[in-house]
Amino acid sequence: MMDKFRMIFQFLQSNQESFMNGICGIMALASAQMYSAFDFNCPCLPGYNAAYSAGILLAPPLVLFLLGLVMNNNVSMLAEEWKRPPGRRAKDPAVLRYMFCSMAQRALIAPVVWVAVTLLDGKCFLCAFCTAVPVSALGNGSLAPGLPAPELARLLARVPCPEIYDGDWLLAREVAVRYLRCISQALGWSFVLLTTLLAFVVRSVRPCFTQAAFLKSKYWSHYIDIERKLFDETCTEHAKAFAKVCIQQFFEAMNHDLELGHTHGTLATAPASAAAPTTPDGAEEEREKLRGITDQGTMNRLLTSWHKCKPPLRLGQEEPPLMGNGWAGGGPRPPRKEVATYFSKV
Amino acid sequence: MDKFRMLFQHFQSSSESVMNGICLLLAAVTVKLYSSFDFNCPCLVHYNALYGLGLLLTPPLALFLCGLLANRQSVVMVEEWRRPAGHRRKDAGIIRYMCSSVLQRALAAPLVWILLALLDGKCFVCAFSSSVDPEKFLDFANMTPSQVQLFLAKVPCKEDELVRDSPARKAVSRYLRCLSQAIGWSVTLLLIIAAFLARCLRPCFDQTVFLQRRYWSNYVDLEQKLFDETCCEHARDFAHRCVLHFFASMQSELQARGLRRDNAGRRLELPAVPEPPAVPEPPEGLDSGSGKAHLRAISSREQVDRLLSTWYSSKPPLDLAASPGLCGGGLSHRAPTLALGTRLSQHTDV
Repeated sequence: MMDKFRMIFQFLQSNQESFMNGICGIMALASAQMYSAFDFNCPCLPGYNAAYSAGILLAPPLVLFLLGLVMNNNVSMLAEEWKRPPGRRAKDPAVLRYMFCSMAQRALIAPVVWVAVTLLDGKCFLCAFCTAVPVSALGNGSLAPGLPAPELARLLARVPCPEIYDGDWLLAREVAVRYLRCISQALGWSFVLLTTLLAFVVRSVRPCFTQAAFLKSKYWSHYIDIERKLFDETCTEHAKAFAKVCIQQFFEAMNHDLELGHTHGTLATAPASAAAPTTPDGAEEEREKLRGITDQGTMNRLLTSWHKCKPPLRLGQEEPPLMGNGWAGGGPRPPRKEVATYFSKV
Repeated sequence: MDKFRMLFQHFQSSSESVMNGICLLLAAVTVKLYSSFDFNCPCLVHYNALYGLGLLLTPPLALFLCGLLANRQSVVMVEEWRRPAGHRRKDAGIIRYMCSSVLQRALAAPLVWILLALLDGKCFVCAFSSSVDPEKFLDFANMTPSQVQLFLAKVPCKEDELVRDSPARKAVSRYLRCLSQAIGWSVTLLLIIAAFLARCLRPCFDQTVFLQRRYWSNYVDLEQKLFDETCCEHARDFAHRCVLHFFASMQSELQARGLRRDNAGRRLELPAVPEPPAVPEPPEGLDSGSGKAHLRAISSREQVDRLLSTWYSSKPPLDLAASPGLCGGGLSHRAPTLALGTRLSQHTDV
């Protein structure tokens, strides 16, 4: 059982999309749970009912949608990919569109759940439309015209609040509540049906159009995601190796200084005995991990080039030096051949 | 148990994950704390506002400070801010980056408390029941102002005899709760819009500087952790050697005592100080030392103290190509107690 759990965990972590699917599911459940934990509190005052209900129907879905986008790392990835200078790698708008659609679709699930649950429950709808109930059809229609409009509104606004409702002589509260809840549930189910139908149509019909372009966009979108993650991991590894070697050198330098002090300035013997005569294996490994980048300036230039001109999507070719003269100014050579392989119009 | 170990390992994998984990934990603790706290409005004219607002604002402050305390990176940031420049230039941008990262994580739990309190409504009702405008509610028409004030102050207490089963109380309470929830949702919406904009728009400004700052602040964090680990290793090594030397010297002392007794036939005074531990002769049984020669060289209390104070007062430059002996040369002239520090004139600055 633990193995299964581990497998699921690894699968979800395997790429950003799977991870977001997991997050999406959790947020949908959290949305339903939040609704049931939330204490709906209709103000039962004529002007405020509609405002409160509209707020409860619309603000939490917006919050959930934005939360779904914020939690998705692809948002900053999308923004980066959009704003980066083209460098040696052309930008493909189709990939950007794919990323955006995929993010938006996932982020829409939790708000849809909230709206559906709200409508099916009925309290929100009841609060919003209690003043619009047709009194003549449901209650004592003969008494209604005698009342001034504000008084009628005040009376009807209290329908959602059983403990302060005082209009039984005009309209039985139960009748109004039942009527409005029934409409609300009908709307709720229609909404659920509509969204499911829409999702189904989009999913089934899409392969009929632009399937080849879709596959390409999906591949390159995953690629960008994985590349970014690997770059971050490599940077962390490099930082670790850098720190290890730096600290080791610090200890060695300290020892060297002490040796110098002890041997009263005989520099000849000091360097030989200071550090270990043969560099230990562990240190060699660490130095290799540094890949030749051993000072702050070089590292900064590496990070700048990563953003300003990403390497071309072509492996196994003689790469001109990234930070050499050929690259000054960042002016892009027209990547003719590269465009043909990377971006094709379908 | 495996599940927990796996989750734990996942969170340990990078210090950012650790901090996110702590942040979530603190948020969960906040939710539990709020739900188990027994809210108890005093229902007296001047004390309501004090209690309500105090409960709305004091626990978040405490949680914020807890969030700062629980985050290792806040200490690292303060150290980086206050250290002398030494051989390594200080970059204000890195300190700002670390500061903003620490603050964002520390603000999560207090915001959870404030939002829960607003969405629940009890704090708000308690604090603002006396400030409600009685004109809105028709039930107050036949009461004198002082009676109205007294009544309003008792609104948060359902069981009080003055207001029990009163529709006016329910109306006021409902109105205030609805206002509180509206404010809560608005604040949530604003915060989430701000977070979304910040996330989206960040790549539009200075992405390269951001990448550099992120790398170097991560580096500072890692370096501190690795230095602590190296010092622990060194302390362990030092202790091991010290103990072994002690046993060896005790053994040789006993042997010497036995020899002298044999020779002279009577007990002699022994030297008060055991023979000094022979540094060039590491006892058997220590690690073969292929990776640890640089640790074994530091072998006395004064040397360790000097090493630690040098680490603070002048961190080594971020340039590994420089050879260890001539590393800036500053190490020798910064250590005042060194007997004959050879003044090397080279002084590299990064």
